Amino acid sequence: MHSGILYSLGQSLREILTSLIGVPILVDLLMTIICATILLLIMATSALVFTLGERKICAFIQVRIGPNRVGPGGLLQSVADMLKLMDKEDIVPRGIDKWLWVLSPILLLVPSALIYAFFPFDDGVILADVNVGLFLLIAITSQTVLPFLMGGYSSNSKYSLIGGMRTVAQMLGYEVPMVFALMGIVMITGSLKMSAIVEAQSDVWFIVLQPLAFLIYIVTALVESNRPPFNIVEGESEIIAGPFTEYTGMRWALFFLAEFSNLMCIGILTTTLFLGGWHGPDFLPGFCWFWIKTLLCVLFYQWVGWTFPRARVDSMLSFGWKVLLPIALINVLLTGVGIYVYNVM
Amino acid sequence: MAQTEKYVLNMGPQHPSTHGVLQVQVELDGENIVGAKPVMGYLHRGIEKLMESRTYVQCVPFTDRLDYVSAMNNNLGFCMAVEKLAGIEVPERAEYIRVICAELNRIASHHVFIGSLTNDLGSATGMIYAFRDREKILDLFNIICGARMTAHYIRIGGVAADAQDEFLRDTQKFIDYVPEMLDEYNKLFSGNEIFQARMKKTSIITKEMALKFGMSGPNIRASGVDYDIRKIDKYGAYGKFDFDVPLGKRGDNWDRYMIRMKEIAESAKIIQQALDNMPEGPYMAKVPKVLRPPKGDAYHRVENTRGELGFYIVSDGSTKPYRVHIRRPSFVNLQALDTMCKGMLLADAVTAFATIDPLMGEVDC
Amino acid sequence: MWGKGLITGMKVTWGHWFGKKETVYYPEEKLPMTERFRGGHLAFDEEKCIGCKLCAISCPNAALDLTVSVDENKKRHMESYVHRIGRCMYCDLCIEACPTKAITWDKNYEFASYFKEDMTYDALVEARNRRGNNE
Repeated sequence: MHSGILYSLGQSLREILTSLIGVPILVDLLMTIICATILLLIMATSALVFTLGERKICAFIQVRIGPNRVGPGGLLQSVADMLKLMDKEDIVPRGIDKWLWVLSPILLLVPSALIYAFFPFDDGVILADVNVGLFLLIAITSQTVLPFLMGGYSSNSKYSLIGGMRTVAQMLGYEVPMVFALMGIVMITGSLKMSAIVEAQSDVWFIVLQPLAFLIYIVTALVESNRPPFNIVEGESEIIAGPFTEYTGMRWALFFLAEFSNLMCIGILTTTLFLGGWHGPDFLPGFCWFWIKTLLCVLFYQWVGWTFPRARVDSMLSFGWKVLLPIALINVLLTGVGIYVYNVM
Repeated sequence: MAQTEKYVLNMGPQHPSTHGVLQVQVELDGENIVGAKPVMGYLHRGIEKLMESRTYVQCVPFTDRLDYVSAMNNNLGFCMAVEKLAGIEVPERAEYIRVICAELNRIASHHVFIGSLTNDLGSATGMIYAFRDREKILDLFNIICGARMTAHYIRIGGVAADAQDEFLRDTQKFIDYVPEMLDEYNKLFSGNEIFQARMKKTSIITKEMALKFGMSGPNIRASGVDYDIRKIDKYGAYGKFDFDVPLGKRGDNWDRYMIRMKEIAESAKIIQQALDNMPEGPYMAKVPKVLRPPKGDAYHRVENTRGELGFYIVSDGSTKPYRVHIRRPSFVNLQALDTMCKGMLLADAVTAFATIDPLMGEVDC
Repeated sequence: MWGKGLITGMKVTWGHWFGKKETVYYPEEKLPMTERFRGGHLAFDEEKCIGCKLCAISCPNAALDLTVSVDENKKRHMESYVHRIGRCMYCDLCIEACPTKAITWDKNYEFASYFKEDMTYDALVEARNRRGNNE
C-alpha cells in the first residue's frame, strides 16, 4: 500500500526488531522511541543549520558576506555560537518568580517538539497519524503562548511583561483567521487527518484550489512563529527582546532553539497543507521533495523577514481581525459553493 | 474589580534604539504613552568650557565632536563665526569647497537618519543599505582631509588643503549615483505599505507647536514652516546656487522622512552646481599665525543637518575666546519629544526618537 | 493596489541577494590609505627637527610631551618625543605647525593594544629603531 524508501526502511527495522524481541508492544514502544529521537535530532539540527542559514541569507541580502571565519566558509559558526552560549554565566535576576521563570524556556520546547509527531515526511512516514491531526496540531501550536507569557510575567521586568502581553494579543488575533483559512482545506479533503490532506493533493496542490487561504496562512504563520515583519513580541528596537530580555546562556538558547524549530514548522506546514507535501515527480523520492519544498518555504520566510519593517501592534491586530478574518470567512463560503458546484457537475 | 495603573518605563541610556546615550522615561498606560521625559547629560564633555582655554585655531577640532555625523557643518559654523569676529575674507574657491563638503556631509547625515530610522522600524536591511552609501561619502572625506568622520577640514580663513582632482572626480561620480540610490530607497521603504502605515499620521507636530518649541531644520520644515538659513542668510557661497527648500504639510513622521529624502536630492543639486562653477584661486585666506580678534562678540548661524547651529563667541582681544556658546539644534528639537509621543504607542516612541534625529554628542555638548 | 510596494521591496532585496557584495575581506585584503590620511603613530625625522616645540604648542590637548636639550653650540636637540595617543584627536595641527616637516603620520592604523601603557610611546625611539632596522 505505501511506497517509498523511508517507509520500507521503517518496515524492515520493525521486522528486525520483531525477530529480536518478539513482543509486539515492546517493538511498538521501541519504534516510537527511535522515531521520537530522530525527530528531536531533526529539530536540533534545524536550529544549527538555520542559525547559519539565517545569518548568511541576511548577510547576502544586506550586501555582506556573513560569517566566514569558523570552519570552511563559516560552516561551523553555529557550533561555535552554541559552545559560547553553553559557556556563558547563568544569571538569575533578582525579584523573579523562580519556578515560572525556570520552567518557561523548557516548556516552550514541548509544543515545538510535539508537533513534529504530526508531520507526514513521506508516504506513510508519520509518527502519529491521528484522525484529528490538523486540529491537534493547531491546538498544540497555540500552547506556545503560555511559556512566553510565563517568561514575560515572571521576569520582573517591564519590557518582558509588555512582550508577554503582546504574545497573548497576537495569538487571539491571528489564531482565528488561521483556523478559518485552513477550514477550506479540511472541507475539500473531508478529513482532519494529515496523511489524508497530503493524499488529497496528489493531483492538484491546494495552493491552486485555495489561493486566498494560502495568502492568509503565510501571514498568520509569520505571526505565529514571531518572524519579522510581525516579530512584535521581541521587537528589539522597542522592548529589547520581549520575554527573553532577562535570560542568558543556555536558557536563552532554548528560546532560540524553539524559535528556529517554529520556523521549520511553518515551512513544513506550508509544504504539507498547500504545496502537496511529499508529492512530486518520480525521479526523486518523496522525502526529498518534502525537504526541498520545506527549505524553499523557509528561505521565502527569511527573505520576507529581512525585507520588511516591523508592523505596529495596533495596526497588526486590526489587520488580523478586520481584514484577514472576513477574507477567511469568505474563503470558507467560496469553498463551500465550489464544492457544491463540483459535486452537481 | 479590575484596577489599572500607569507605570514608568525607563528606556535608555542603554537601549537598542535611543541613538546614543539618550535616556527617556516613558510613562505608559498599557502600551499608550502618557508622557515622555528625556534625560540627558550622559555625553557631556563641556566643550563650551574647553574652548575657553584654547586658541581659536585649536577650538576647531572640538566642533567635530559636537555633531559627529556632520562634522563639516560644525566646522563651517565655528569658522564663519570667528571670521566674522576677526573680519577675515575667505577666498571664493574655499567657499565653494566648503559648500561641497557641507552638502556632502548633509547627505551622509541623512543617510544615518534613514539608516537608524529603518533599523528602529525593524528593518536592518535598510540600515545596511544607507550605511553602504554613506561609506562612499566618508571615503570622499578620507581623500580630501584624511579623516572620515571628525573631518577638521574647514579652517578659519578657508580650508585645510586644496581639493584634489581625485576628490572632485569621485564627488561627481557620487552625484551621478544619487538618483539611483534614492530610487532604491524609495522602492525598499517609501513605497512599502507597512512602512507607510507606521509613519503616516503619527507623532504630529503642528506649525504652531514647532514654532513655539523653536525647532529648526528638517523638523520644522516638515511642519510646513519655510525656514532654511541657507536661503535666509545666504551665508558663504549659498547665495550663488539655485535650490529648493522642500516643505511638508502635516508634520508627521512621514513628512519628516520625506523632507530628508528630498533634501538629499537638493544637496546633490547644489554640489553639482558647485562642481560645475568651481573657481580657481587660493584655498586659504591670509590669516595671522597668532589670531587675536578685536574685542567684541559675534553670532553666526548655519543650517546644520539637524537645524540652526549657532556659535556665539565673545572675544576679549586675546588669543583665546572669552566665552563660546553653541546653539545646538538637536538640543532644542528634543524638547518636542513629549508632545510627539503623547497618545502614541510604545512602538511610535521609537519612531519619534528617530525622526527628531537627535545626536547626543550635540545635545549634551 | 495594496501590496505593490511590498513586492517591489522584495525585488530589491532579491536583486542584492545574488549581487555583488561590498565587504572587504580584512585582514586578507586591506584598503589603501589615502595620501592625507591622519592616523597611526607619528613618524619622526630627527635630522629635520630643529627643536622649536611648535608642534607641542599647537596641540589642543597637550598630547605631545617633548624634552629638548641645548648643546654647547646653542643647537637644540630632541631628547624625547612622547606622544600620548589617548589624548590625541588626530586633528593634524602639530604636523601643519611643523616648519621643517619633521613629523608625519606613519598611517599604520593597527595599533590596538591590551595595555594602557602602549598608548604612550616615544616617537624618537621608534624613529631610531626604524632606522636601525633599515641599516
